[in-house]
Amino acid sequence: MASTATNYLNRELSWLEFNQRVLDEAHDPMNPLLERLKFLAITSSNLDEFFMVRVGGLHLLQTSGSKISDPSGMTPKATLEAISLRVHQMMVEQYQCLLTEIEPPLAAAGFQRVNPQDLADSQRRIVEHVFKDEIYPVLTPMAVTPEMDFPYLMNHTLNIIVRLAPDEKSKKRQDRFAIIPFGRTEFRFITLPSEGGYQYLPMEDAVCLFIEQYFQGEHVLESIPFRVTKNADVSLHDEFASDLLHQMEDMLDQRKQGDCIRLEIAEQVSVETLEFLERGLGVLDENVYRIPGPLDLTAFMRLTEISGFDALKSESWPSQPAPVVNPEITMFENISRQDILLCHPYESFEPVVRLIEEAAVDPDVLAIKQILYRTSKHSPIVAALIRAAEQGKHVTAIVELKARFDEARNIEWAKNLEHAGVQVIYGVKGLKTHAKVCCIIRREPQGIQRYLHFGTGNYNDATAKIYSDISYFTCDEVLASDAINFFNSITGYSQPQKYQKLEAAPISLRDKILDLIHHETERKKQGQKARIVAKVNSLVDPQIIDALYEASEAGVKVKLNIRGICCLRPGVAKLSKNIEVVSIIDRFLEHARVLYFYHGGDERVFISSADWMPRNLDRRVELLVPIEEENSRRKVIKILNTYFEDNAKARVLNGEGVYERITPSKEKNLVRCQQVLYEETVAAVKQAEKAGRTVFEPHMAPEDR
Amino acid sequence: MNTKDSPSAETVAGPSRPDPVPNRLIAVIDIGTGAIRMAIAEIKEDSTVHTLERLSQAVTLGEDTFQTRNIQKSTMEDCVRILKSYRRRLDEYQITRDDQIRVVATSAVREADNRLAFTDRIFIATGFEVAPLDEAEVNRITYQGIRPYLTAKPNLDEARTIVTEIGGGTTELLLVQHGDVLFSKNYRLGALRLREMLKGYRVPLSKERTIMENQIQRVIQQIVHEVPADKSIKLVVLGGDVRFALAQLRPDDEVLDPSDSPDELDRLKVSELGKFTDRILQISEDQLVQNYHLSFTDAETLGPALLAYTKLAEAYQLKYIYVTKANFRDGLLKEMADQNNWSDEFNRQVIRSTIDFGKRFDFDQAHAQHVAFLADKLFQSLQNEHKLDLRNRLLLYTGALLHEIGIYVNQRSYHKHSMYLISNGNLFGLGQSDLLMVALIARYHRRASPNAIHPGYSTLDRISRIAIAKMAAILRVADALDYSYSQRVQEIECEIDQGQLIISIPHVEDVSLEQIALVEKGPLFEEVFGLKVHLRKKQ
Repeated sequence: MASTATNYLNRELSWLEFNQRVLDEAHDPMNPLLERLKFLAITSSNLDEFFMVRVGGLHLLQTSGSKISDPSGMTPKATLEAISLRVHQMMVEQYQCLLTEIEPPLAAAGFQRVNPQDLADSQRRIVEHVFKDEIYPVLTPMAVTPEMDFPYLMNHTLNIIVRLAPDEKSKKRQDRFAIIPFGRTEFRFITLPSEGGYQYLPMEDAVCLFIEQYFQGEHVLESIPFRVTKNADVSLHDEFASDLLHQMEDMLDQRKQGDCIRLEIAEQVSVETLEFLERGLGVLDENVYRIPGPLDLTAFMRLTEISGFDALKSESWPSQPAPVVNPEITMFENISRQDILLCHPYESFEPVVRLIEEAAVDPDVLAIKQILYRTSKHSPIVAALIRAAEQGKHVTAIVELKARFDEARNIEWAKNLEHAGVQVIYGVKGLKTHAKVCCIIRREPQGIQRYLHFGTGNYNDATAKIYSDISYFTCDEVLASDAINFFNSITGYSQPQKYQKLEAAPISLRDKILDLIHHETERKKQGQKARIVAKVNSLVDPQIIDALYEASEAGVKVKLNIRGICCLRPGVAKLSKNIEVVSIIDRFLEHARVLYFYHGGDERVFISSADWMPRNLDRRVELLVPIEEENSRRKVIKILNTYFEDNAKARVLNGEGVYERITPSKEKNLVRCQQVLYEETVAAVKQAEKAGRTVFEPHMAPEDR
Repeated sequence: MNTKDSPSAETVAGPSRPDPVPNRLIAVIDIGTGAIRMAIAEIKEDSTVHTLERLSQAVTLGEDTFQTRNIQKSTMEDCVRILKSYRRRLDEYQITRDDQIRVVATSAVREADNRLAFTDRIFIATGFEVAPLDEAEVNRITYQGIRPYLTAKPNLDEARTIVTEIGGGTTELLLVQHGDVLFSKNYRLGALRLREMLKGYRVPLSKERTIMENQIQRVIQQIVHEVPADKSIKLVVLGGDVRFALAQLRPDDEVLDPSDSPDELDRLKVSELGKFTDRILQISEDQLVQNYHLSFTDAETLGPALLAYTKLAEAYQLKYIYVTKANFRDGLLKEMADQNNWSDEFNRQVIRSTIDFGKRFDFDQAHAQHVAFLADKLFQSLQNEHKLDLRNRLLLYTGALLHEIGIYVNQRSYHKHSMYLISNGNLFGLGQSDLLMVALIARYHRRASPNAIHPGYSTLDRISRIAIAKMAAILRVADALDYSYSQRVQEIECEIDQGQLIISIPHVEDVSLEQIALVEKGPLFEEVFGLKVHLRKKQ
């Protein structure tokens, strides 16, 4: 099939639609208020990352003069224009949501951002106190003159620009400017004394309130908070194909100083001040966002974690101890009795942690091999690996340092691992190691036994509570031997060898997926039943999209659950009328990648670490793991099908790239997939308890104790 | 250290744990022309081999040796680096003892002028003792690896089956029927060798094929001459190159069929293989690496190897060839699993091949086999005295079979002719050092006792020298027992009593003839074992 540009949706715009769906959750009056605030904060942090990585890269491409169109037929310039337009709209909607939909009812419920001019006297005294004790000594204004180099401002931090009236002693009758950078501070909101409820004041408001204290004897004309996004400090190797990178190369060096690709500034800014900043930062008009409220909504995330206000939060859905895991025997015994498939966070992540913790102290364990992509600050897994190394076990950790924005955290614990004697391998040259696998080699009376854990999510007990992921434990011989081969090849012990059951990117994973899709197409052409169901986070890869179009044209029913970007146009006549794409945004982040192929009745099911994007398939180390054991396979098929029953949180993508809510017909019950999965898990635990199983005592991760 | 002497060791071990597992972990490392490969395996209680890990890293040993006959310093250091990394993997499994590890090298090292410098450097840097294998050993090991596959397929077992692997430097060939090795030989035809030769010629891609075909045809003509074509010939091939072709022609998009036993052989149509070979030969090595995710060394050998397989199959007018998953390392593992004691089946092959060899020199087969039988009897009865292993038992048996073949040359000093013939002969499965042992056993079956100034004997280490003396002494007694050349001594019973080895012989009238023979043949035994040999008629 000839691929034409109109066959694909633009990936950046599709991403923005994803963020819009998150914003829709912030709008949704059915969600509790603090949840809505959280969704709003997520839209903001999403946009920050989007600008740093995608928009930054596109700017480089544009500056390098690239006229190459992406699969959807848009040049970098056209894409950037479309992004600017869409993000400006989105920004307006974000603040409309905050200021008119969320804050008023929140205030009514006692949770209130106070305007500086509305501060009560007692509150104002406190704020002044905080300003004098904690802010004034820390934050220092810098005078900025047109003659000097513009000061270096850190990405995504708050600053205040202050315009001062001309110096009376000087001959120049020009306004003067100073900038107060906030730097990377954790501190954003000042808690105010109040008579019940919670009142707070953003720090920038406090600074503006007492701004004259910095400029004794001067006349402050205005003080305006702003924030910059600069094109710097981000590795683009993971994001852009090498031919594009090649074009950006010259630009990459210049980027060191960092062009400003977005300026967010409080909307009350004067023309003079804005001009001054635009000139100093070298930012174009279309990249200026005038913000009608507090900047950097990401910071509100922390506020939503406040204790109390339970009525404003979702009811808690605590992770359940999976009945398939017997807490009274070791994980080794559990796994050798049967393969175990878990669906997090409904089922607890604890067995994963427990497996590694038990391995660390088990006298028969010879070696532990583990990939750590992103992990939590006080990760019990890292602690267990350190303990294992101290016990003299051979521990290999493949640590991916390029995990976005996590660098500092990664280096610190990686050093700790090294000190303990863990063989730390800092990734594979040129490829990001994104696969999630752990392999434990254990000497048992009947011989060497290898225990495996494959996942779709990172070994991070913190995100495991909010990301929906699949875990699969097995001691299958063939998978074990493949996993060992896989480790040997990424750690440089051996050249890659052909796997028997696994497939790995960047070598064979794409081909395998294409094969599986073609196989369904062929079956359908021969009049057999065929069906493809997949759940991934993003679908961008043109080859896979084309294969799916071909399948659709052959009559194969294709159901896709894609949380984020989808460049495939579904439901288009003579192209994709048999393809259905739904996206679910709910309280847990949909993260599992699960694939299903009917395969002539011999159903094939896989879990994977890879999204269907060129970066995952070509520039990352990823895994595709077949689930063959019958119970696990049935369980994962059931989970997968649940995603297509949702009519509460699901949005259906149409051929124009627009997502529409499903309005369930009256007689149909509202089905909310995540709730169904949670309730089913709870029911299963109850049933197991009823069936006379022992009481479950989960080993909680240390931070929960 | 004995744990009984160190109670502290027990307390450290914690609460009573099950006894150490009976399974043995072993590893083999094969230093080949294009790669250093390692297999780590576990030998189960029933002595089946269960492979745990296979590793492979590319080296340019073949390139060095086939071009300059010298392994370059940088290549040596590459090998050191790879072997050190393998050492770490072995530590992980606590495989540290020498008897758990076997490191062998094939033609690239064997043919290098500086092979000693190479093996020394490896030993100094990694502690691995590299044993360059000679051709007979390679054949023996391959046979060990392939045997289960052949016996699993009756139609192959019955046919005259050529088993061959076109390696980087040499082509091994075995002709097998009913599990018997009828013929074995190594040819200097190798995929990497061809490649290196082409580099020397600097010809365009289009011409390369013609040159390769010429070279291949020359060797194939020789093979066909030695193994004449007949209708029942089947071809079983080993090696990564052909397995790659198989995988490409049979994309198993399926997950493995559970009924697919690992002993299965895959059938490949020769015409398909030919077409695939044509395709591969038209693609540059860089493209091969790109398209098929091959390593560079694999890409280099792929075309020449496939061409050679195709031509060989065509020479025998075959429609199909059989591809096996077995490889050289499987054979090595199998050998280690058998604790270096060769399997009965393998012994049978060696003995068969030895008898064939004897026949070529018109030996007195009845006498030879009877002496071998008696020597073997004595060997078993005297286990406590000589304390030699089963491997030596086979060497003694072989030496006994061939002890008189020198008569074919000249009656005078025939023991020396026997020695010469054996040590320059080609016995299936016995490497150069084994052959020398056999030759010396035969040489010392009469006349002079072993002496450190004798050629051959002087080159051996003490352990081998002692073993030869012991076995020669036994052979002399056995030979004396059939002094009549009538095989009349059918049974013997041995007993050691007061510094005497008393051999009781039932069912004979008198033993005076043999007793006389022992006057000449007995002294060596007494020298070696400190026992006088006394024959006694059993009542």
